[in-house]
Amino acid sequence: MTTKSNYGWLQGRTVRKGGYSSNSHTRSNTPQIQSTSSTIFGGGIKDPSGRTSEYFSMDDQCPVCKSDRYLNPKLRLLVSSCYHKMCESCIDRLFTLGPAPCPICNKVLRKLGFSPQTFEDLGVEKEVAVRRRIAKEFNKRLEDFNDLPSYNDYLEEVEDIAFNLINNIDIPATEARITAYKTANAALTSLNLQREEAEALALKEQEDLERREREARAAQLAQQEQQEREERQREERELIDKLETSQKDAHKIVAKSRIAAAKRSSARAASSSVNSGLLGMSFGADYAKLLKTRTNKVNNSVPDEPHVPFQDDWYAYDDLYTVRAEGYDDIISEAVRKDREGIMRAGGYKVEEAWNRALLTAVAGLDVVAISGLGEQKPVEDVDVVMDSI
Amino acid sequence: MDAVERENLDRQKRWVKEQKVGEGAYAVVYRGREFSTGRRVAIKKIKVGQFKDGLDMSAIREVKYLRELKHQNVIELLDVFSNKTNLNLVLEFLDSDLEMIIKDRSLVFLPADIKSWMAMSFRGLEFCHRNFILHRDLKPNNLLIASDGQLKIADFGLARDFADPGFKMTCQVITRWYRPPELLFGSRYYSSAVDIWSVGCIFAELMLRTPYLAGESDMDQLKTIFRALGTPTEQEWPGHTKLPDYVPVGQFPKTPLRDLFTAASADTLNLLTKCLLYEPRKRISASEALQHPYFFAIPHPSHPSKLPKCTTQMVPRPLGEVDGNVDMASTGPGVKAAAPNKGRLKRKMTSPMDDARTRSIARKLDFTKHMKSP
Repeated sequence: MTTKSNYGWLQGRTVRKGGYSSNSHTRSNTPQIQSTSSTIFGGGIKDPSGRTSEYFSMDDQCPVCKSDRYLNPKLRLLVSSCYHKMCESCIDRLFTLGPAPCPICNKVLRKLGFSPQTFEDLGVEKEVAVRRRIAKEFNKRLEDFNDLPSYNDYLEEVEDIAFNLINNIDIPATEARITAYKTANAALTSLNLQREEAEALALKEQEDLERREREARAAQLAQQEQQEREERQREERELIDKLETSQKDAHKIVAKSRIAAAKRSSARAASSSVNSGLLGMSFGADYAKLLKTRTNKVNNSVPDEPHVPFQDDWYAYDDLYTVRAEGYDDIISEAVRKDREGIMRAGGYKVEEAWNRALLTAVAGLDVVAISGLGEQKPVEDVDVVMDSI
Repeated sequence: MDAVERENLDRQKRWVKEQKVGEGAYAVVYRGREFSTGRRVAIKKIKVGQFKDGLDMSAIREVKYLRELKHQNVIELLDVFSNKTNLNLVLEFLDSDLEMIIKDRSLVFLPADIKSWMAMSFRGLEFCHRNFILHRDLKPNNLLIASDGQLKIADFGLARDFADPGFKMTCQVITRWYRPPELLFGSRYYSSAVDIWSVGCIFAELMLRTPYLAGESDMDQLKTIFRALGTPTEQEWPGHTKLPDYVPVGQFPKTPLRDLFTAASADTLNLLTKCLLYEPRKRISASEALQHPYFFAIPHPSHPSKLPKCTTQMVPRPLGEVDGNVDMASTGPGVKAAAPNKGRLKRKMTSPMDDARTRSIARKLDFTKHMKSP
């Protein structure tokens, strides 16, 4: 409320008598005011969380047709894009036939450009709208800058632009600055937008997780209490039964059952503490502890061996052939080799692999002895094949 | 009874089928035993009857390639026999997969564990590539873990041999989150580099404990990749704008990997960068990766027997629930028992963003909650 005078220029002084006075408690002694639900911010439509989603007061008056809530109980004032209020019937009357000038400031307006009022002060309304718009475009983060001073400069610039827009200083120049920034930083802006969304999602998920955890704890606790109650009832019944049936001394029986009960309850406390520890762990709270147990477990078993790239006794046949460096002129791979547009190259196809495969399959197994039949024959030694063409 | 039938019957007698473990679009998996030794196996019964044009493609691929591959880090196909009209594959029994381990929040990974898993993955993959076979569906879900901790590559339903110069290959392979950009751009000629990209994604996922590049659609996948690694330039990846399905998806700046992988060593990030290079021809090969300094640096890779093991119970799960994969019909995930929950796509994105939220200066006001836009 104290900021109101600062934004006087916004209200449009020409209509002050009708429009603006509606907010300034000139008729605060009228009984209607008392009947609205909120006392600080005037009335308003509230969403389920109790936030004012649309502002209205009992002494609203349309600055255009001067109709007020007394004459029209359904009066609803909407705010134009030049921040002037009008009632719905005026808007219908003036703008149904297309864009028309604002009756207060002559700016050309459209029917769709009207929106409900959220804040009592239209200055706040405008500032919020401007800042929302700016925040959407200028969403760079500290990580996007090399050092803190440049980030601060950037924030300063953003604040400057916002201030200009709010106070109608150099609007065309400022808009030009914004568009220039927009084109220069489109990619980064969209990236940061995605980041923000992802963060919001992650935050929500974490909150969900925490809530579930709390619920699980509560359920466990309730269950424990229930168990305890049942147990105590059972004990009492047993005690009474015993006192009824046995011939022993009543005092002794009572003392015995008390000791047993104390033992049980202490056991229960111990087990519940263990349980709650486990519960916390399962939700990833006690990660460090897990890591510790894991490292401990590792230390007392087989030692780790250094890396051995290949663990099978594989013979590469590399010494049996060489692939010609200049390649081969075979018909089958002709299309692939020509590859005018570089599509095969871009897809990662290597014709060398085909040649390699052909040569390898040709020489592999040359020195393998047949399993049966020619048992005495010696393996072929050192077959060096150099293929000229396939 | 002719000789073939007799041979088949002999083979059939060697294996005992026990209970059903899972069922998919084209196969039912049973737990089983070898009759003579009592060794546990998994028997994958492929439904033949309902396919008009013969045997399902992925079954053929699986038999064709697994028959030839025998390696410590590749699932072993022990036997194949037929029973009436069904085809039965006898495979090694492996009780968990890497996805279950990643998702199990009670497990803690040491850098050495990740190194060990990566070394085993690269070893298995190197063996496939050495034999000129592309896997084309690498994801944590298809990396199975044996009881002794050895990691084995499974599910060769999308595999094929490569380096054939005359043939186009389909680009609709690999689960979306692990699919390289050249396939997303519709390249029909590619190479072993596609598998390396997938391994890179798995590497990142092991560190983050959440899928690294989780796109919601093929377009979104490209956007997700570029957002994480920056939009490629013509120098970085020559010719990519000419690929069949190329579409510009917007400019994103490069952000250093260090920002996301804050605790990783320089070697780790170097290998990860080389696995996630845009230009497929420059991407590291499996055998080069195995020689990378990352694997030789301290700490040594964990001994397989010491790797964290899944604690959750095995629950039969429906096979063939392929997350994000286009090729729905063709992949029943190999032989593995049971990840506990079905909501595979709904893996949660948790908290890599958390630390980014602590900003030093908060000068932006959030008015979105207070008013509708004017």
